[in-house]
Amino acid sequence: MPGTNSILVVSKNQLNKINTWMFLLRGCAILILISTFIPALNPAMVSGLIDKNSALFTMAVSYSSLVEGFTRAINRGWVNSGTVLNIYISSLLTFLSVAAIVAGCCMTLGKLKLQRLGIKIIIIGCGAAIISLLLLFPAYYALCGSTNLNAVQPMISYSYLIFDIFLIVCAVLGFVNIKLLPRPSENDKYEMEAKYKLFLMALPFVILCFLFSYLPLWGWRYAFFDYTPGLGLSWNNFVGLKWFEFLFKNAASRADIIRVMTNTLAMSGIGIATSFLPMAFAICLTEIRSLKLRKSIQVVTTIPNFISWVLVYSLAFAMFSTEGFVNTVLINLGLEKTATNFLMSGSHIWLKMWLWGTWKGLGWSAIIYIAAISGIDQQLYEAATVDGAGRFKKIWHITIPGLMPTFYVLLLLSIAGILSNGMDQYYVFRNAANQNSIEVLDLYVYLLGLGSGGTGNIPLATVVGMLKSVISITLLMAANWFSKLLRGESII
Amino acid sequence: MNADSVNKTNLPSKKFKIFKVRSDRGLGDIIFDFFNHAFFILFSLICLFPFYYLFINTISDNNLVSSGQILWYPKGIHFDNYLALLQVHDLATATFVSVARTIIGTALMVLASAFVGYLVTKQKMYGRRFIYRFIVITMYFNAGLIPWYLNMSMLGLTNNFWGYIIPGIVSPFNIILVKTYIESIPPDLEESAEIDGAGYFTIFWKIILPLSKPILATIAIFGAVGNWNSFTDSMILMSGNPSLYTLQYRLYIYLTSTSDLATLMNSGGSVSQNVINSVMNMRTMRMTVAMVTLIPILLVYPFMQRYFEKGIMIGAVKG
Repeated sequence: MPGTNSILVVSKNQLNKINTWMFLLRGCAILILISTFIPALNPAMVSGLIDKNSALFTMAVSYSSLVEGFTRAINRGWVNSGTVLNIYISSLLTFLSVAAIVAGCCMTLGKLKLQRLGIKIIIIGCGAAIISLLLLFPAYYALCGSTNLNAVQPMISYSYLIFDIFLIVCAVLGFVNIKLLPRPSENDKYEMEAKYKLFLMALPFVILCFLFSYLPLWGWRYAFFDYTPGLGLSWNNFVGLKWFEFLFKNAASRADIIRVMTNTLAMSGIGIATSFLPMAFAICLTEIRSLKLRKSIQVVTTIPNFISWVLVYSLAFAMFSTEGFVNTVLINLGLEKTATNFLMSGSHIWLKMWLWGTWKGLGWSAIIYIAAISGIDQQLYEAATVDGAGRFKKIWHITIPGLMPTFYVLLLLSIAGILSNGMDQYYVFRNAANQNSIEVLDLYVYLLGLGSGGTGNIPLATVVGMLKSVISITLLMAANWFSKLLRGESII
Repeated sequence: MNADSVNKTNLPSKKFKIFKVRSDRGLGDIIFDFFNHAFFILFSLICLFPFYYLFINTISDNNLVSSGQILWYPKGIHFDNYLALLQVHDLATATFVSVARTIIGTALMVLASAFVGYLVTKQKMYGRRFIYRFIVITMYFNAGLIPWYLNMSMLGLTNNFWGYIIPGIVSPFNIILVKTYIESIPPDLEESAEIDGAGYFTIFWKIILPLSKPILATIAIFGAVGNWNSFTDSMILMSGNPSLYTLQYRLYIYLTSTSDLATLMNSGGSVSQNVINSVMNMRTMRMTVAMVTLIPILLVYPFMQRYFEKGIMIGAVKG
């Protein structure tokens, strides 16, 4: 937006024109920013030894991962370590120039004087980026002089050209905008309207949110390729829906899925079937009259919720292993002749996992009901007492109906989360004897994709994860719709 | 559930009435009370005993421990096990990593939640509703573990300490909590500061931050516990760099490793190894490491008491 003084000399028609060019400039700057995160558009990909999945951003922030790819070549003397440093510095400078372009782009939201400064910074940034990219050529020629060209594979890919085109277009747009904008008067200051200031303050967090919550969705593309770590994705290994079909047509993976789904649904099912327990726990606890005792019980029973599953497992190890408490007591009482390691047994795993989950979480989940009980109107109880209702009648007719809304919400949420048991608990308790009945969907995805040290089936694991995500969000929507229908209230 | 319920946590004390009710209690009441008390006392013991058992085993005579003879009280009390752990180098590294990620991760998360929570209450902001929804909606979907891992690797955050910190900075749920809280602060204070010419950062730092201390303390404590307890991120992201393992993951490795103590402890000098071998065995070693991992949680637990009830209630009335 131009400053108040200059608005007099700019007609409305001109203003619209300026806005259009401004949007183009900003769009181009954002395009450049995004392409630094896309491996396929990485201009600094000058050698086949660079990981095909590294974007310009990856190369700029992580020198170690760049060196990793070249370690063997440097040791054999194919590549000079100075060349690698050259590539790194060039990509770092390019990235910093892109950062300058983005900063300039933010400044164009300001008033006239700041806007012009922003555009100048964008133009300078574009120039700096083009020069930084030119610095790749010494490295490229050094790579071309290598003794083992087959391994090093020096290249200047089409992405270099595309990136340069982006930068040139951006610079040209910058010049156009500078020409169109009126000169600032002497009274103008570097200023920005409050609404844009606030927007820019929130922007870094929006970007973080995008990077860690939205960008992973882009990784769903791995489900459609024959991907092996280190090699990139290209149309050569595009396989369409092969892995989706594989999941259901291949007998072994179908059996796996059936087994894993049985475990998942069974364990979630036990949890849902017993989801009234926290409510019962809370009701019974509030029936204890001594406030001190009640508080102490509450404190003690919530401790387990705050320790990790690894610690739960170490307590389980202390209590139930061969030399543990339970075995010693059983032998002392003569109920058992030889000690057994209960953790290694594979029987009743579903039940045992439920018991551990209950031990850890019951006291904690009851708190929400305890708070809800203290929110019930006391006059209801007093009126019931006057009418001659006993304790159990009051629980049945006042407390439980008062807790039902909370119960419904939690029940619907747990139904929506039926596939998401998490993997921590099952991962720590898993061993050779129980692995068939303990593997839930989350754990299965981990073991399938990453569990076997770099040889996992990443596309198949992505497919399973994808299906899980889609089903989960559908269930959540359905639960929300159901809640709206039934109680007129949304739960999410 | 409404906001009123948060305030009414204490039942009104009605001593007279309780006395009156007690005098005409029926047999059913008495039986119920008996079983009710019995159940809760038993359940509390079940919750507490494993911790006590673990503790007495780490301070008792190691020979008695390894033959499982320490059941109810410690025998031959000594603290050599804890001293011996000081010589385990990878454990010291892991403790450092865990403490660092807990402090840095929690501090950044709390500051970011407070700041974003404050910003999204500003009606003036360009694109306010969009930004708020953009962040909040991420609570309800999830790309899945593998795409997340590949994304982290693409961002250069695998085998990198910042991989623990940066993904946790923006936490939608905590942003909602802070936003709801800030909206309940009377706007007059802020307005008068604005008239006095204070900028957004000044208002945030001098007014909003001090006023929202209770909610920030709540999310800080939950964040710290979450950071301290997490181990799968260590296992998935840091697999190439064992010096970045957290204490929890080290503990897991110790618990499941089948190699002998000397190999496991990886402690360098031969003298210290002899010391360790003479006082410890695999079982006591595992339990002592578990105890060390547990201590910080037990230390902050009393402070959490004040906050956790509040936390879960605000969570329930999120808006």
